[in-house]
Amino acid sequence: MIRLDGVSHAYGDDPVVEDVSLSVEPGEVVAVIGPSGVGKTTLLRLLALSVRPTAGTVTLDGRDAWALDDDERLAVRRRVGMVFQDASLFDATVERNVEYGLRIRRPWAERVRDQVRSVLGDDTIPEAVEEALDVVGLADALDQDARSLSGGEAQRVSFARALAYDPAYLLLDEPTSDLDPRNTGLIEAAVREARDRGIGVVVATHDMHQAERVADRVGVLLGDGFTEVGPAETVFETPADERTREFISGELVY
Amino acid sequence: MSVLLDAAVQAGPAVRSVPALVDFPFAEGYVTSVIAVSLYVSVAAVALSTLFGVPVAIAMGFADFLGKRFVKSVINTGMGFPSVVVGLLVLFAVSNRGPLGPLDLVFTREAMIVSQFVLATPPVTAISLAAITGVDDAVGDAARALGGTRVDTALVVIKEARYGIATAVLAGFGRAISEVGSVLIVGGNIVGSDGVSKTRTLTTAIQLEARQGRYGTAMALGAVLVTLVLLVNAVVVRLGDTGAVNR
Repeated sequence: MIRLDGVSHAYGDDPVVEDVSLSVEPGEVVAVIGPSGVGKTTLLRLLALSVRPTAGTVTLDGRDAWALDDDERLAVRRRVGMVFQDASLFDATVERNVEYGLRIRRPWAERVRDQVRSVLGDDTIPEAVEEALDVVGLADALDQDARSLSGGEAQRVSFARALAYDPAYLLLDEPTSDLDPRNTGLIEAAVREARDRGIGVVVATHDMHQAERVADRVGVLLGDGFTEVGPAETVFETPADERTREFISGELVY
Repeated sequence: MSVLLDAAVQAGPAVRSVPALVDFPFAEGYVTSVIAVSLYVSVAAVALSTLFGVPVAIAMGFADFLGKRFVKSVINTGMGFPSVVVGLLVLFAVSNRGPLGPLDLVFTREAMIVSQFVLATPPVTAISLAAITGVDDAVGDAARALGGTRVDTALVVIKEARYGIATAVLAGFGRAISEVGSVLIVGGNIVGSDGVSKTRTLTTAIQLEARQGRYGTAMALGAVLVTLVLLVNAVVVRLGDTGAVNR
């Protein structure tokens, strides 16, 4: 389980996230919904251990990540994958992109050998790479130049890139906000596949319908922390919090 | 009539200096030795500039340290530094009484390498730095989010900047091989009694031919120089492309 306990984060004097708590179990999809600029991205960065909270703790499987030394925290961080709104693929083939997470987890001697082999044109493609690309329906794009892909394909490769090294938790930041319905559907199917593999998934989205489609649980982030966290049906059908109800019914406009 | 002819001669070399065949009054091996000196000096200098400048650019791109802005302004000033002044300073440095006097480098190719190194390093460093800082932050963020350490992230960014770094090296090479002022001062434009170049480069040879009025010869050497630069560019671009396919 990955969890935030009373976590706050501020850029300078400006608090972005204040006193937020959330936990995610393996094999469940949690959607974080809320208007733009409410701190969803910062929340994911806190979960990804890429920013340090100014207060509170981030624990992964019971270990307080920021109480660990650098090496231990790296090991913990490497169990989490993150996909951004922009695919931000590397200027390389699709295969090299998806393989990246596997590659950097290998010892340096092996990495150098792999690099030499790749220059000599003698690549062996790890099974995990093919499998991950298969999940997003791009198994035949292995040798394509990543920069030649369409936006939707690039985002699916970006998803495969995070899936390939089999993370315990996967964080998706507005993964489909720039995509057409077909690519959105493919990403959502991939999210379900990840859940079926036992991965805990967090999706930050401003698309409530997407949250309804993919999430087991939903957290509603409005201004200063979650107004409501609960099973998707409860949050959407019978929200306990007044502001949540207004937000979901579209009355609360930011 | 003769007045007219004289006037025509005085009007400029252009009238008489278009010979049917280019005049090449050189000993055997002269031109190849001039090319060899040019290449040796420029390639060695740019290799040193790259070994020095690219790591400096990487350090400046990824780390914050005291005096970073000062280093940056030194580099930017260096880009526009007049080559004759560099030549003069290097000549002082290597002269008998200079700090490098004991090395006995006056009028040697090695002294020319020193001055070319001083000239090529600022553009190599500045253009590499621009390439590295120009890489989208999102690329580094992605590398980190996929489990990359600081070293992994830096490697990804450097890899993304590879074309820019290649451009930086080419710019440094271009500056070095096409430069006249400093190599003339520190090298002395010397050819041995056997007609083989010691410190004469293509640029200083062209300058000499032009001054002697052999414009056709100067043009021919100029064509050799341009071809050389084109060849080096082609080789570097080609290397960049093969790297791009198998990365």
